Amino acid sequence: MSGLAARDDAAAFSALNDSRSTPASGKNLAVVLDGISKSFPVRRTWGEMLRHPGLRPRAPVLQNVSLAVEQGEFFGLLGPNGAGKTTLFKMLATLVLPDEGTATVGGYDVVAESSKVRSVLAPVIADERSLYWRLTAFQNLELFAKLQGMRGAAIKARVNEVLEVVGLSDTKEKIVAAFSSGMKQRLLIARALVASPRVLLLDEPTRSLDPISARGFRTFLRDEISGRQGCTVLLATHSADEVLELCNRVAVLDRGRLLATGTTTSLARDLGEERYALFTRDASHPALAAMVQRGMVGALNVRGDEDGWTRVDMEVIGGMERAAQIVATLVEQGVVVARFEKVPLPLADLIDRIVRRGAETQSNV
Amino acid sequence: MFEALALIQASWRTQRSYRVSMILSVLSLGVTVLPVYFVSKALQPYAAESIASQASNYFGFLVVGFIALIFVSTTVNSIPDAVGGGIGTGTLEALLSTRASIPSLLAGMVGYSFVWSSVKAILFLLLAMLLGLHLSLAASLSGILILIMIVLAHIPFALMAASLVLAFRTTGQIPSIVMIASGLLGGVYWSMSAKIIPPWVHALGNYVPLAPGLRALRQTLLNGASLATVAPDLMLLLGFIVLLNAIGFLMFVEALRYARRTGTLAQY
Repeated sequence: MSGLAARDDAAAFSALNDSRSTPASGKNLAVVLDGISKSFPVRRTWGEMLRHPGLRPRAPVLQNVSLAVEQGEFFGLLGPNGAGKTTLFKMLATLVLPDEGTATVGGYDVVAESSKVRSVLAPVIADERSLYWRLTAFQNLELFAKLQGMRGAAIKARVNEVLEVVGLSDTKEKIVAAFSSGMKQRLLIARALVASPRVLLLDEPTRSLDPISARGFRTFLRDEISGRQGCTVLLATHSADEVLELCNRVAVLDRGRLLATGTTTSLARDLGEERYALFTRDASHPALAAMVQRGMVGALNVRGDEDGWTRVDMEVIGGMERAAQIVATLVEQGVVVARFEKVPLPLADLIDRIVRRGAETQSNV
Repeated sequence: MFEALALIQASWRTQRSYRVSMILSVLSLGVTVLPVYFVSKALQPYAAESIASQASNYFGFLVVGFIALIFVSTTVNSIPDAVGGGIGTGTLEALLSTRASIPSLLAGMVGYSFVWSSVKAILFLLLAMLLGLHLSLAASLSGILILIMIVLAHIPFALMAASLVLAFRTTGQIPSIVMIASGLLGGVYWSMSAKIIPPWVHALGNYVPLAPGLRALRQTLLNGASLATVAPDLMLLLGFIVLLNAIGFLMFVEALRYARRTGTLAQY
């Protein structure tokens, strides 16, 4: 039995909501969700409606979600498609009402004080069709600056500033219909930034960008939005680069349930999923198999040769102490070790394992 | 107000970019006025008696009726069209994410349609005057006031249709029903007091907001009547405005709440 499976499920699962990664109490919180639940009516066929006219089936989209995001924090929201990320964002943007629980943005309740919420938060959750395609980039931003309450000369200055920031200054007089998908995506972000929001919601912002533009955009988010403007950013993404490069903490959602919050490193550690790569001349040495048998490491994965050295990937259960112990044992047993290094768990694997662990916990309950 | 003006400006910029559509829209006015002129000339001897209380000639009677109908059509169609279009493109969600209030957003989304309808109405009137229509220009301010009241009395139907669009993606044919009822029972084409109109149809006409509005508008613009003279019709119109607007706004707020509850603001 692997070490992972040997751990008590409930204890392991609760450990994923790492207290070390929770915002310290007393600090200003930008976003607070407390027991948020939401379900949507299920669309039924005519036959089902005739057979069961009284039924009103609903599909849960968010289930008792609680989390807090500090001011100025860069927070990632991860999870497979249909996890509830967009619904959560729409709820924060006051476009969807919660069934249960409370949510506040900048201290304002999203239901009772929705107009105040909209004055501090800007979402980038709409697709590019929500731009006015027959207007120029400048005119689009000018319109939204006015709708956000800006007046006079400040509008032109701010619009030009934001266009500069997203790299659309040269094309500001072009109509949006002539823009590429990437340019439209950047304009959507500019539209959100125009009113200098304190909280920014980004739903897969780089999905239409080429890799170079996406990298530039990440730099812009880190240096300008999070760094210079001190904006709190909630980012829903499937991109490992974005999470690893930008996010202070992440939350993993699956089928509306919050499975884990913390740094990617702490989540991997708490899952018992610390991966190491061993470079050795003798991958079939019995000492390695013995360590697996004793439960010191998880399954071995021989990845092939690099200049005559074989790379063997392994899951180490027990952190750095155990890693040091493994190196000592291998050397003692006469295994030739060239390198023994930690390998970051791929984001997809991390999410997948958290989701699977969540499903196991749920079925045990 | 400033937000509404910004949206009207954006609509103007958008429409201006569709030049052919704009030119054809203006040209179609001329095509409408000419047949109305000749048909009214032909029917004048038959209609004269029944329209006497509102107008001295049938051409003027029809022109004022058409102008009122232009505004009724704009009112009942523009709000559900704007809401439906906004849902389809996602602009409604984007607009609702801003700090602007819902009334100012609605006013902005449909404001351009009203400006354009006003331009069309003025051109329509000018063409009709070239063909011999006599208007009491001194009463034009009163006429504008009555037109505004007619629009206000029809906004609730637009809000009801927009509510249905928000909740169920259909207008429930409300704009069509209002247009047909206004055309047939509101007195656009004939006087509801004509002898050939059955009493029960005449009675139905009392429940159509356009009927009192149009009577007042014709008497003011064509006969030079004062607002005091048409006060009974205006009071009836005011009753429609107060009662229907309360229902319309309530429905719209509830429909918006329903769309937020079901998460369907941007799903068509």
